[in-house]
Amino acid sequence: MHFRSFIIRLWAYVGMGLVAGVIVFLFGYIFYKGGACISWEFLTQAPAGAMLGQEGGIFPAITGSLAFTLTAVVIGAVPAIATALWIVFFCHSKRLEEILHIVIQCIAGVPSIVLGLFAYSLFVRDLQFGRCILSSGIALGIMVLPFIEVRAEKAFRELPQQMIHAVYALGCTKTHAMLTVVLPACRAELFSGIILGGCYAMGATAPMIFTGAVAYASNPTSILKPAMALPLHLYLLVAQGTASLGIAYGTAFVMMAVILISNMLVTIYARRRQRAWKQ
Amino acid sequence: MHSAREILNMKKTGNRIFRFILGSFTLLTSLALAFVIIFIVKEALPTFQNVSLKEFLLTGDWMPISGIGNGPRFGILNFLAATIFVSFLAILIAGVVGIGAALFLSCVATDRMRGVLYPFIDLLAGIPSVVYGFVGLTVLVKLFLKAGVRTGSCVLAAAILLAVMLLPYLVSAVSETLLKNKDAYLKAADALGVDSWYTICGIVLPASFKNILAAMILAIGRAMGETMAVMMVIGNANLFPTLLGKSETIAAVIALEMGTAVNGSTHFHALYAAGLVLIIVLMGINFGINALRKRFI
Repeated sequence: MHFRSFIIRLWAYVGMGLVAGVIVFLFGYIFYKGGACISWEFLTQAPAGAMLGQEGGIFPAITGSLAFTLTAVVIGAVPAIATALWIVFFCHSKRLEEILHIVIQCIAGVPSIVLGLFAYSLFVRDLQFGRCILSSGIALGIMVLPFIEVRAEKAFRELPQQMIHAVYALGCTKTHAMLTVVLPACRAELFSGIILGGCYAMGATAPMIFTGAVAYASNPTSILKPAMALPLHLYLLVAQGTASLGIAYGTAFVMMAVILISNMLVTIYARRRQRAWKQ
Repeated sequence: MHSAREILNMKKTGNRIFRFILGSFTLLTSLALAFVIIFIVKEALPTFQNVSLKEFLLTGDWMPISGIGNGPRFGILNFLAATIFVSFLAILIAGVVGIGAALFLSCVATDRMRGVLYPFIDLLAGIPSVVYGFVGLTVLVKLFLKAGVRTGSCVLAAAILLAVMLLPYLVSAVSETLLKNKDAYLKAADALGVDSWYTICGIVLPASFKNILAAMILAIGRAMGETMAVMMVIGNANLFPTLLGKSETIAAVIALEMGTAVNGSTHFHALYAAGLVLIIVLMGINFGINALRKRFI
């Protein structure tokens, strides 16, 4: 019997070691290989050269990705937080609440490539937006909606009931309670949901391939125009073969750096704002 | 000056307006799902004027452009098989590693260590799938090439990559269950003087079995919809999946061919139909797990 517990124990240590090893390897590999390529010019110039990205930088891809991400977050976060508020504070029917949870779960279950198909047929073709940041932004927004909603709803539910009841007892309406107590108290969770949702949208390629991201464009000036995006740029550089591999590592470096910094910010902010009612 | 009653009425009206706004957004969220499904179904249905459902699902010939003597053919059997095969393989690999890591997090790590390790593992969830594909292509595929697999792209490479992508979801779900069961049983077992690892493998793990299984099945759903990373290392050839052979998943077909499919052609609609099949499988998994959870867990 000692043998069995030894095996389980070994499993635990090896499993954790492997997971940690993979994470360190992924970041280390990209930072090591991509670091060589990062320079001020690389970050601030447009791609150049006979083939895409043989020379020059990735500036339009950075600004493009920023535009896609912002559009997606605005389109996704507003309904997500509103839905979470409505479910927690206004929905009185258990059944309706259950149905809404299934809806959210189903949206989360739709593969991102299918959201791309949807955005293509409805926005690009039928509504004639064409390939543009807005079409992709809507697909990405639907993608991050459940991600933000789940986090927001969890935060609202974890608020101590006395706190909200105290506001009601003072004669305030639910609206007043939400705007002045609930939302500010859940600031850290909402912030982390939005930032991480933004990272999720930034890294997604599948929904934007045929709805708004293109191989080459200048800096985005309107959300009704197509733009470059970091993940698609990386994919195209890789698909092109070895000539642009150095710049591919650099592009991956930028994305990994954004992920790492955002995650660290969120973790630190959440820890600093850890409240008394959570242990 | 407003009277108290007037102020109260104004507040009530304000509350009603806010409630209405929130309610509209909730409706909008639900409509978004409805719209996605309606549009995919609407675009998928014309496929079946030219291809029978049986042919679409049960044959493996996918020739979007008609050659000499034979018309275009649309059968997604190989793609569907590859999607399911690569996802199962991925969850097997992720399960072995992930349950181990979850055991460590729930039974070895202190609260302080957990506070560091959870955000650390969550980093994996944030990495874009293209970057996974890129690393897979420059590291995994090269390794497979050295090991003698022709061109290096293969189903196993995609499965390993997918397994890494599934790890954060699996680890957090499994360690949550394990923690809950550990808290429920470990103190009693300790009080009886039983070795804690004996308790973990004799009671905590078996008690968590159903929840672990549910988490793994949900992760399969996640794996099936993954596009870029898989597409970059699986080789994209319409073949029935084998461990070291090339293949192609449904999501990859859509991503690769959508750009060239002529709007309104059978090819175009067939891609939507393939997407619809993917959604149906995924929603089947989600609903199935929900129903089972209610009944058994």
